[in-house]
Amino acid sequence: MTEKILTKDKQEEFLSRLIKVYQVFAPVEKEGNSLFSQINTPEELAEEYRNTKRPPKELFFPHSEALFRFRKGQVLEENPNEVERVIFGMRPCDAKSLTLLDMVFNGKDFKDPYFIARREKTTIISIACARPQITCFCTSCGTSPVSEEGSDILLFDLGENYLVKSITPKGQQLIDSLGDLLTDTQESDLKKRDELIKTALVEMKSEIPTEGLKEKLEGMFDSPIWEKIHLKCLGCGICTYLCPTCHCFDIVDEAVDSEGERVKNWDSCMYPQFTIQASGLNPRLSNKERLRQRMMHKFNYSVSNYGQTFCVGCGRCVRNCPVNLDIREIVKLISGK
Amino acid sequence: MKQIQSRLRQTARQLLSEGKVDLLIGYRQGSLPLKTTPCFVSQEEEAVGLVWNSFCTNNLAVYLPGLFRPDPRSRKREEKKVGIVVKGCDCRSVVGHLKEDQVPREDLVIIGVPCQGMIDEKKIVAKLEGKEIIKAKEQDGQILVVDEKGQEIRLAKGNFLRDSCQVCQHPVPPLYDILIEGETARQALSDEYAEVKELEERSIDQRWEFFQREMSKCIRCYACRNACPLCYCPECFAEQSQPRWVGTTDDPSDIMAFHLGRIFHTAGRCVDCGACEAACPMGIELRKLTRKLIKDVEELFGYETGVSVEEPPPLATYKLDDDDEFIK
Ligand code: SF4
Ligand code: SF4
Ligand code: SF4
Ligand code: SF4
Repeated sequence: MTEKILTKDKQEEFLSRLIKVYQVFAPVEKEGNSLFSQINTPEELAEEYRNTKRPPKELFFPHSEALFRFRKGQVLEENPNEVERVIFGMRPCDAKSLTLLDMVFNGKDFKDPYFIARREKTTIISIACARPQITCFCTSCGTSPVSEEGSDILLFDLGENYLVKSITPKGQQLIDSLGDLLTDTQESDLKKRDELIKTALVEMKSEIPTEGLKEKLEGMFDSPIWEKIHLKCLGCGICTYLCPTCHCFDIVDEAVDSEGERVKNWDSCMYPQFTIQASGLNPRLSNKERLRQRMMHKFNYSVSNYGQTFCVGCGRCVRNCPVNLDIREIVKLISGK
Repeated sequence: MKQIQSRLRQTARQLLSEGKVDLLIGYRQGSLPLKTTPCFVSQEEEAVGLVWNSFCTNNLAVYLPGLFRPDPRSRKREEKKVGIVVKGCDCRSVVGHLKEDQVPREDLVIIGVPCQGMIDEKKIVAKLEGKEIIKAKEQDGQILVVDEKGQEIRLAKGNFLRDSCQVCQHPVPPLYDILIEGETARQALSDEYAEVKELEERSIDQRWEFFQREMSKCIRCYACRNACPLCYCPECFAEQSQPRWVGTTDDPSDIMAFHLGRIFHTAGRCVDCGACEAACPMGIELRKLTRKLIKDVEELFGYETGVSVEEPPPLATYKLDDDDEFIK
């Protein structure tokens, strides 16, 4: 795969050219919140951003999505096809999260055609993190601030320039199509890149003990630890809705008489009705069982099912929990460290 | 603050050791700068972890109804005495709980703290314009913040108070078993409802635009509801499915229906503690809406929430001599 240089004065043209060919999504500041949204001009890109408040999962797995319309038992239309898209400026933790969502929605057992279509038609351009935040702990979660995983292209911000590295054939193709904007790398650029990688890893101050965590959790379903941990939890949806890897959903019919839509909505294991059964029985009666589920799913069940921890260490739940129930502290408590 | 903190710890230790409470809800140091976190203390030794400072924003009253509800499995209520640390606004929520029969007075020990106003973390974050805050502490009425470049910034606490603190009428808890004396409470300023009046004066289209804009940010995480001490219904109307009152999609109409329902349920009950707005991760101006109702209730019924347990709540009372002006 190739490495090229994009000087920052050409960044605007780079984006403009992309916008001509693709639907381009990038971090923007909307009503005080940063999120990935479609941009129509390069200026819309948020100026300074670390990681967006809203994770990019909604571009593949929207909050609410009509799967099809129906009338009197007849399916009228299925969801239309997606167009070619580029996501610019994703962070490596979020890029990694998409590879985890792939395992769920494009796995051996289940295929979600809507999700798959969007994934196939999207090229991801990520930017390596030079300065992790105090809430970032991706290096404990199988990725890193400079990881290539999940990206088609990875950019390194070298100050005046970006070093543009293609990771996949899809990324290479995109780079080739914009080749006239790129120049060759110099020895000094590669040195700067290595510096950046080094500082990023040194600056990463936060960590969680994920080593052996799955095994540890194995025998902890009935541990008294859960009695204490959940006490301050409000049972809201912030930590799951803002998590790039949480992917639970509910399917409802939005219908008047016999005509309507079948809609897939986000759902959260932290909500009381998430497990309520038709009989009225709710096996997860309180926040204790719900928080345990959230932790078990991320750090045990998903490791059994997919060999991966379903946390990428983005820190969104840490920053946004209204009662400062910090997932890093929960993990430390579990592992007794 | 230091004085209050040490007295608070002492009181907690005493209550626990004498068996006057089995559990005490207070604050301890949070894991991030500018934050404390709610804590549940049941051992005397843990009382040293309690803190009192300008970051004690959470309204701990939110936990009370749940603690006194019967266990869903055994359907029995565990006998326990609970102590709770309250500021003025939190205390008024507790008054609401007592009035609505959610919390048994005899099992509750209210530890009141005269409040000097709490910091709005979001205001400090905004002031730093994108620079990350690595450390923060409070010193002589100032907030000392260290940014990612290691720069120390001193901020006058008064400029970063929560909006709800700025218009608070009851910094001293109106009801308590123990009042922690120490630094005096903040002077209550008169509440002119400036931002509500400004909203009322807008045209209907402008008000609709405001409502639409705020609602467009909502991700339906229900944190506003779950952080609210008076949203204690075990099953919220927004979650009922037989019948379903509100759709669960992110369509603006569903989101608005949820908020309209919730906000109207706070009428005559909301104490303007600001917990909903503080919990909202998307920065939605929820207090403008709840405060409109506070103002209406005050004007229509001359009623102020959360100051007296005895005074009947206006929306749950009928007066024979009511002039019923609204249906004439
Ligand atoms: S951990 Fe925090 S964000 Fe998650 S449900 Fe509990 S209160 Fe909400
Ligand atoms: S659990 Fe928290 S830190 Fe981990 S990926 Fe989800 S939001 Fe990020
Ligand atoms: S509606 Fe908001 S301000 Fe009013 S009592 Fe509930 S949380 Fe407090
Ligand atoms: S806390 Fe904010 S984002 Fe969450 S449901 Fe309430 S208004 Fe919406």
